[in-house]
Amino acid sequence: MSDNPVVINFQSVVKRYKLYKNDKKRFLAIFSKKVPYKDKLAVNNVSFQIRKGESVAIFGKNGAGKSTILKMITGVTYPTSGSIDVCGRVSALLELTSGFDPELTGRENIYLKGQLCGLTNSEISQIEQEIVDFAEVDEYIDQPVRSYSSGMKARLGFAVSVNIRPEILIVDEALSVGDQAFREKCLKKVRSIIDEDGVTLLFVTHSTGTARQFCDRGIVMKSGKMTFDGDIGEAIDIYEGKKR
Amino acid sequence: MGTLKYIVREHLDWRSQILLLAKADIIKTYSGAALGWAWALIKPVMTIAVFYFAFTYGLRAGGGVNGYGFALWMIPGFMAWFYMSDMLQQGANAVRKYKYLVTKMKFPVSTIPTFTALAKLAIHICLMIIVCLIFMATGHMPDIYWLQTFFYMLMMLIFWTAWGLFASMLGAMSRDFINLVKSLGTPIFWLSGIMWDVNTIGIPWLQKLLYFNPVTYLATGYRNCFIYKVWFWEEPLQLVIFLGLMAVMIGMAIWSYKKLIKEIPDVL
Repeated sequence: MSDNPVVINFQSVVKRYKLYKNDKKRFLAIFSKKVPYKDKLAVNNVSFQIRKGESVAIFGKNGAGKSTILKMITGVTYPTSGSIDVCGRVSALLELTSGFDPELTGRENIYLKGQLCGLTNSEISQIEQEIVDFAEVDEYIDQPVRSYSSGMKARLGFAVSVNIRPEILIVDEALSVGDQAFREKCLKKVRSIIDEDGVTLLFVTHSTGTARQFCDRGIVMKSGKMTFDGDIGEAIDIYEGKKR
Repeated sequence: MGTLKYIVREHLDWRSQILLLAKADIIKTYSGAALGWAWALIKPVMTIAVFYFAFTYGLRAGGGVNGYGFALWMIPGFMAWFYMSDMLQQGANAVRKYKYLVTKMKFPVSTIPTFTALAKLAIHICLMIIVCLIFMATGHMPDIYWLQTFFYMLMMLIFWTAWGLFASMLGAMSRDFINLVKSLGTPIFWLSGIMWDVNTIGIPWLQKLLYFNPVTYLATGYRNCFIYKVWFWEEPLQLVIFLGLMAVMIGMAIWSYKKLIKEIPDVL
């Protein structure tokens, strides 16, 4: 594993959010530097490297900076300082709806998402049925996504993300939705693409049991700082407070 | 300059997705409504009919120009205005509307106003075909000047795409800005000579001042093709002023993009 190329490289990454009193103040701040704001340090000087094929779990309480890290890897948000290098197609499941257009139908969204990820139409039509079957949305696939229940949206989101042949799969707490049977199906799918395609997995969760099944490495975050990076068992112990 | 290069590069790399999203934008606007595509037509027809009625019978101000009746005179400029008023408001709202492209996946944000502008242009072209049919039905056959419409269309597209980039970045930061833009629609309409002939203003300095209004330039441009039969190079001063304003607008778009691109994902 240690000779595999590095696919994600974080170098002293800092992310600072500027909090203004209200929207008006933030708007004024575009034109003037004098508008006061509070600084919120979401990610504080974090460095790590992840190699191809690794499965890494990221633990941390709410507000520890996990989601910010995932968003920066996805390229959705930018670091305030430090550098991030990511190579490979990232498929991210950030929150439930994961970037569906609510006005388009499920099928149209599959095509849109696929094309935005760089697949051709014929590639998408090959995986289309697989996605529809996996998501178990049946006749709803030709209905607008806004009419979906949250479970259906999450299932479709998951089905698209794992089926567009990602090289880096980012799962943010999404597996905790859906019923037991669907959850197991998801886990099985994730397992299979890790084993067969050598996908790099980044997994943010509070469920340490699931993390132990999938990951061999754990990162623990505490209020923006990385407090541990190493073996999954130790990481879970630290996160659960058994060890300091 | 680097930012402009970067924006152009993003557009080239994502050109097929831009067209796809423009298509999706049109489908989205009209699917799900019982009358579907007809709405693209109903709104302009209704508005033009009402204004025609108010001006011809109410204000009794509508006279013919150049051998064309008031309705025919009004239509080309009005069509240009429909596109511009759509872009004025929806351009400013574009990034906010396509929030999911900004916050949920890696997507070149600078292309969002572009595909919005292209979607509107497709509808505009359909409307212009109908305008041509109306002119032919009333006995005004196509001539070489009609082709000039494409020049003004292109100018309009570039100008309003730049506006869209400038305004949608600010609009994503603040709802106040979107409300401000919304309230500007009506004043711009009445000040820009959509309903009256700019050339008939008796005060020379006021007429000169209107050269600096890009909306006037474009609406009059459409009328140059259909009514006045004037080429764009026959009015060099207006053209140069418009191109200058376009350069300023592109400059503002780049400024706003550069300044806000890193902040927007955190704000939306």
